[in-house]
Amino acid sequence: MKKQEVISLNSLIKNELIKIFKKKGIYITLFIVLAFVILTNCIYKYFYNTGSYSFYNENYIENLKKELSTLDPSKPSDTSMYIDLKTEIDIFELMKKYDKNAWQRDIISSKVANYLKEKNTYLYIKDKDEIKSNEIDNKIKEILLKLEKDDWKYFAQEELKRAEDNIKELQKQKEETIDKQQIQSLQASIEIAQIDLVIAQYRINQDIKYGNDYMNRALSRYQEESKNIQQLENNKDNLKFEEKKQYNDSIAQKEINKYILDNKVDVNKTDDLRGILSSFFNEYGLFIIVMVIMIAGTIVSEEFNKGTIKLLLIKPYSRNKILLSKFITVFIMIAFSLIAILGMELIVGGIIFGFESLSIPIIEYNFNTNTLDTINVFVYLFTSVVEKLPIIILLATLSFAFSTIFTNSAVAIALPLLGYMGSDIINLLATKFNVQFLKFFVTLNWDFSQYAYGQLPLMEGLTIQFSSIICFIYFLVMIVTTFIIFKKKNIKNI
Amino acid sequence: MESSILKCENLCKSFGKKTILNNVSLEINSKDILGFIGPNGAGKTTTIKLILGLQNITRGKVEINGFDIEKQFTKAIEQVGAIVENPDLYMYLSGYENLKLISNLYKGIDEKRIQEVIKLVKLENRIKDKVSKYSLGMRQRLGIAQAILHKPALLILDEPTNGLDPEGIREMRELLLDLSEKENMAILISSHNLAELDNLCNKICIIKNGEIIETSNIVDIKQESNTSYNKFEVNDTTKIKEILPNSIIINKNEFKLDIQKEQIPNIVKKMVEEDILIYEIKREEKSLEDAFFEKTGGNIIE
Repeated sequence: MKKQEVISLNSLIKNELIKIFKKKGIYITLFIVLAFVILTNCIYKYFYNTGSYSFYNENYIENLKKELSTLDPSKPSDTSMYIDLKTEIDIFELMKKYDKNAWQRDIISSKVANYLKEKNTYLYIKDKDEIKSNEIDNKIKEILLKLEKDDWKYFAQEELKRAEDNIKELQKQKEETIDKQQIQSLQASIEIAQIDLVIAQYRINQDIKYGNDYMNRALSRYQEESKNIQQLENNKDNLKFEEKKQYNDSIAQKEINKYILDNKVDVNKTDDLRGILSSFFNEYGLFIIVMVIMIAGTIVSEEFNKGTIKLLLIKPYSRNKILLSKFITVFIMIAFSLIAILGMELIVGGIIFGFESLSIPIIEYNFNTNTLDTINVFVYLFTSVVEKLPIIILLATLSFAFSTIFTNSAVAIALPLLGYMGSDIINLLATKFNVQFLKFFVTLNWDFSQYAYGQLPLMEGLTIQFSSIICFIYFLVMIVTTFIIFKKKNIKNI
Repeated sequence: MESSILKCENLCKSFGKKTILNNVSLEINSKDILGFIGPNGAGKTTTIKLILGLQNITRGKVEINGFDIEKQFTKAIEQVGAIVENPDLYMYLSGYENLKLISNLYKGIDEKRIQEVIKLVKLENRIKDKVSKYSLGMRQRLGIAQAILHKPALLILDEPTNGLDPEGIREMRELLLDLSEKENMAILISSHNLAELDNLCNKICIIKNGEIIETSNIVDIKQESNTSYNKFEVNDTTKIKEILPNSIIINKNEFKLDIQKEQIPNIVKKMVEEDILIYEIKREEKSLEDAFFEKTGGNIIE
């Protein structure tokens, strides 16, 4: 393009931007988005609970007590209900002593609860057995004493012992049988029991107190994923695609949680600035897309609806250049929307959570090298946005095309939005039933984050090259059609 | 010799099988003000849209200052300023911001020129207001302002008097005459009302059902037919036709007669002999409309 033409294109784009930013609509939208950014951060800060035992609260227990008072344990129809309610109330009474996130609550809700139920059963069942209930009561008291002393190691040792016993038992069984198949299944059980053993040992060696913190979460996740891998590994070579994905996912999660345990850094933390930024598109993708579509869907059609398109078309610029200037403006507004929402999140998140978390890197498992990648938060953010960019660009182009072809803003905004929201369902259908021809459909290809770190794609057979070509073809078809139709368009009476 | 600014040759436009325009030819020279007259739906706006390249030409050719509108669009359109249908402006912007936007699209429009145009259309006091607060007349004037900002050789106005009150129409006429004189531009102005263009245009072109049925210079029309006539007010016009076969009866008490001054005493004498009471004899200028009725015989615009 000649220098002069670039200059004239510049003035067209400048005018488009003036028109957008002189409208109140854009500021209202930005304000609403800001409100949602603040809301999102507040929800993470104040209402986001990573599964603590705060499930019980005073009101709930009051209700339970009221309900309990209406029941008569001597009536056979009420007995079992009475026992359940009574047990629940007892659990709560015990928990009340400890802090919301204390490890003791964990033990109470798992171990003590069973004993309590047993005890209550003996107490209220028709033929009372006071001796047995006292026996159990003593056991409970013993446990409670350990809890009070903060002696979590007692429970860890118990867990370790249980795992050892379990392995011994299984091994004994294995030696006794001669059935080959049974030996194999016993061997598998032994391997899984060994994982429990390793975890229990790890807890003791690393001094990981029970409780509801990231170390415990990582430990249990590590345990869970190790078992998953163990199960799938047995017939590793003939896994279905979906199972292979699960297997890979388990490997990645296992390694990441191992990193957490080894380094004692919670890289999976979601309720801080780093956590929200690392899932930026999941949190704010819809806002970005709505903003972009609102602009792309009106930039041409509004001029038609208001008649101002005639003003523009009788200026000394070819129609192609006028449409191109509008299309480039859409791209500028994509960048603007991204930067605006990102900026809002940085400022709001920074104020609410502080910026310290940004120094912790993002950890991803790389399937190409089979190692963990340590990535700077901003580098990760940038790449993850770039991977999602095809979605934004294709939706904006679709909206722009509708805006130009139908000159109807409602259609140009609503259809692409519906398409975006429906894309998950289409993808689910395609992957669930392995509908191969849907491979050529754009929604399976436009999310390039599926190829990040050497992961397996959404569907078997998709490659990054294939997806690039598909996305490019969709883009090209839409944009060429739009330019041709705009060029040939008769400006009818408005 | 006068140079031709706009030349339309045998313009045809059809949508599918429906023909909207058939062999429309127009020519506007510099300093011309052409009145483009026709009833609603005759094809005025379509013709203008073809001239401006807003619609594809089915057959024929439009040249603006020698540039073909289809082949050399940007060069041709650079010579034109226009309002099509309504003054299309960005309602959420102020008058000044609208002009500023337009000025960005042309080379060499400076602040001085913008102020000059604002003064010309007399919008100095309201130029900073939002266009949504403007009256229709003000919008028309702002529309003209944006159309003449780049000093076009040809100004095309589609029904600029539509929706204006008589005072607004008079102002518009003055503005256009002013423009033609000061800015030295040829003007094409369309209207469905011939009377509005009286004393404004020097050329008239009449379109009906997509065809040009009349093109003439106003000077010629007015010269061809006598420019004035006498209007008589009498007690009874029933017998007039017998005495004066050339007369045109207006109503029971009035009739028109196209005669020389010297004949008046003679006619009065004849009427007195017939016992007709004469109240008034008045000399009236012929309107453009009258001249046309005479030329084409009957009301052509209905």
